[in-house]
Amino acid sequence: MVSKKSRHRDPLIIRTPEGLYCPKARAHIDPWRPVDCALITHAHADHARAGSKHYHCALGGEGLLTKRLGQHIIEPHPYGESFSLGDVQISFHPAGHVLGSAQIRLDDGESVWVITGDYKRDLDPTCQPFEPVSCDVLITEATFALPIYRWPSMDQVMDQLFGWWDHHVRNRRTPVLLCYSLGKAQRIMAEIKQRSDRSVQVHGAVANLNIEYEKQDVELCPWQRASESDKGVSTDLIIAPPQVAGSSFLKRFHPTELAMASGWMQVRGVRRRSAIQQGFVVSDHADWNSLIKTVKQSEATKVYATHGETRVLTRYLNEHLGIASERLETAFGIEDGVDQ
Amino acid sequence: MNFIQLFQMLDTNQSTNAKRSALVEFIETAHPLESALAIEALTGRRERRQLKPSLLKQAAYQAFADESWLFDECYAAVGDLSETLAILLADQEAVSQTEDPVLAQWQACQRELSKKEPDALTSELLGLLSVMSRDEAFLFLKLSSGGFRVGVSKGLVHDAIARAIDMDRAVIEERMMGAFIPDEDWLNRLKEPVTQNELDARPLPFLLANPLSESDVLELDPTGVAVEYKWDGIRAQLIKTHETIRLWSRGDQDITEQFPDIIEAATTLPSQLILDGEILAGSPEQLQTFNELQTRLNRKRITQNLLKTNPAFFKAYDLLRFDGEDMRTRPLTVRKDTLSQLNVIQSQVIYPASHQDIQTMRLTARAEGAEGVMIKDRQSTYVGGRKTGHWWKWKLDPMTADCVLIYAQAGHGRRASLHSDYTLACWNQNNELVPVAKAYSGLTDAELKTIDQWIRKHTLQKFGPVRQVEAVQVFEIGFEGIARSTRHKSGIALRFPRILRWRQDVGPQDADHLSHFETLMSDSNAV
Ligand SMILES: [Zn+2]
Repeated sequence: MVSKKSRHRDPLIIRTPEGLYCPKARAHIDPWRPVDCALITHAHADHARAGSKHYHCALGGEGLLTKRLGQHIIEPHPYGESFSLGDVQISFHPAGHVLGSAQIRLDDGESVWVITGDYKRDLDPTCQPFEPVSCDVLITEATFALPIYRWPSMDQVMDQLFGWWDHHVRNRRTPVLLCYSLGKAQRIMAEIKQRSDRSVQVHGAVANLNIEYEKQDVELCPWQRASESDKGVSTDLIIAPPQVAGSSFLKRFHPTELAMASGWMQVRGVRRRSAIQQGFVVSDHADWNSLIKTVKQSEATKVYATHGETRVLTRYLNEHLGIASERLETAFGIEDGVDQ
Repeated sequence: MNFIQLFQMLDTNQSTNAKRSALVEFIETAHPLESALAIEALTGRRERRQLKPSLLKQAAYQAFADESWLFDECYAAVGDLSETLAILLADQEAVSQTEDPVLAQWQACQRELSKKEPDALTSELLGLLSVMSRDEAFLFLKLSSGGFRVGVSKGLVHDAIARAIDMDRAVIEERMMGAFIPDEDWLNRLKEPVTQNELDARPLPFLLANPLSESDVLELDPTGVAVEYKWDGIRAQLIKTHETIRLWSRGDQDITEQFPDIIEAATTLPSQLILDGEILAGSPEQLQTFNELQTRLNRKRITQNLLKTNPAFFKAYDLLRFDGEDMRTRPLTVRKDTLSQLNVIQSQVIYPASHQDIQTMRLTARAEGAEGVMIKDRQSTYVGGRKTGHWWKWKLDPMTADCVLIYAQAGHGRRASLHSDYTLACWNQNNELVPVAKAYSGLTDAELKTIDQWIRKHTLQKFGPVRQVEAVQVFEIGFEGIARSTRHKSGIALRFPRILRWRQDVGPQDADHLSHFETLMSDSNAV
């Protein structure tokens, strides 16, 4: 007979003020305060924060991480190769989100937990495709967990983008694409490269990251850092982070035409409220169908949802798929829309 | 071009010029029946609802079967029923065709559908949507359920028509006034030769006033000017010909249909007349604020009820045509004398003997509901544009500014969970936003909540508890005074700033420049 007490195992991962924590491995996952040992899913600012003593990440992500955090002790691990911390076997698996992004698998011999971090299931020429990992407990993101979020194919989006680009060049306006500088910008540049010999000019924030991508042999379209001296309308597409809207950076290219590449652009009202004329639906997160597919493929019997529409996802899993599911509230502000 | 492409172009362009050229191109190139039906929809003439929103919802519930709550969640996130259905039920990979006409076919579809029983209707509708592209589905549903809006005014449509067929804008307005028959012949009818009455119904160029400060006023000869209150309404010309009465705003808009009460009151006036004046909300005894007028302008249909709750009247202050004679070359005093003999509500005018008289008039302006005084040269003729030496405006210090939200921070106490402390910015000479004020109050809880959610989704960076947000949201702030400050990047410090309202009607580019504060300072310091 197994006593009630021993059947109730301690969870492998718990929530602490510093973030998700695995006591047995003495490691935090994407902590938002400095800790001794941090396992990092990817280099976006809301997942990778400076100040911890020791970092682990997937091989290929260490360059971006160093750019983001400065000089720290960073230990990269090849995808799929496990290492031990305490009694826990840990391994990184491709998440398909940005270069070097990973899901983290933790196995203490009694149960297997997987933390997806941010991920997508659509192919992206700048990073390794997502690999399903089976587990007992899955902690998944839920940024876009609503059926309205269905991503169009990249072929369709790129056709639209090229049409918009040409249209405004013909009308002597500079096309400016606003998007997140880590990941989204390079993904779009790689998609351009696969389809054309068009070239772009990029904001400094994007340029610095491009260099890191090219070091990792990601093929981007021809690009150039937008320089102060270039004045007037550009026939190149300008790629810049959203912060430049309304700043002096854009002045040199006047008149400009702004577009935004983001999953949020799926809803017309969102685009119109953000004073952006054109929206392209490109997201580095999983859409509704991908989220459901991923949960099913994981074969997890328990699913926690973090970031975004957690309420909708957990209710759907509980009521319609019969998978026990709970929201994992994060302590503060991690749901920021910065990298969507 | 067809209607779908026109919609895409109107929807993805913010500038009026771009919208206008899209409309012109559409009218020139579309099949005449497509353009006729499009014009009908764009000018709000097709409000007849073929499909009730409840039926659209029923179709969605049918598609979602036992997951109807999930549809409700989607609808809440999108905020628009037609768009929600279009996203969820249309063919995601289908590309809209942008050449062949669609509207006549859609109209036939709608008619067929509306004849069916609800259950058959919803099934048929779902089948129809599943083969449409997203834009097709969205537009089809919008047009069918009577909620079509695309952010172009009637005036802009009429302007585009005038340009497309090279006709006078006012003539087109006149001809679009009555019933519109959406058939293939619509453009030919509009192209018919212009009549004398149509020529008479055109507005004349408005004379605009130059701003004055107190020191400027002291340099004027008080015995050479006339003074009246400056009203905060809609500047307009009331034009009466032998056949029609029209009301034109300074923004080149024919707003006749918006003000049936003013038109009614003008029926007793002699014809061959043009009055220049101001449309004001309320009654001469009881003025209402400009917001109440805005309501009138924004409504597509002016109901009897609206006329009661939001009455309006016309206050005349100049006479441009009288009994068919052009009065504009006559001096102001002659025009005013003739005007005073007409039975219309008119602006009180004084002929000051001293600067003190002008001051006194200005000091009573606020109590009268006016926003300052107008000073006009007694001998001036009426010429179009902002001519110097004719009319001046001397406004009360408004002490308000439109600013852009750039940083937000959580509040205290009851509002600790909301980002309610705002840092607001204005534009400097280099087109950069520089902070001018921190403000904490003045919004309703509902507004705060909405803005809080927006802030969380549009954070660019976080510095501890402070979030830098996208420069999008504009707020009107009020304040008690301005002082120069070397500590602030803007060079100024505002006294007791508070938020007056959330300006959802304008974008960040419409916010004030720092020069606005300079002007306010020179106004108040001159005393
Ligand atoms: Zn991310």
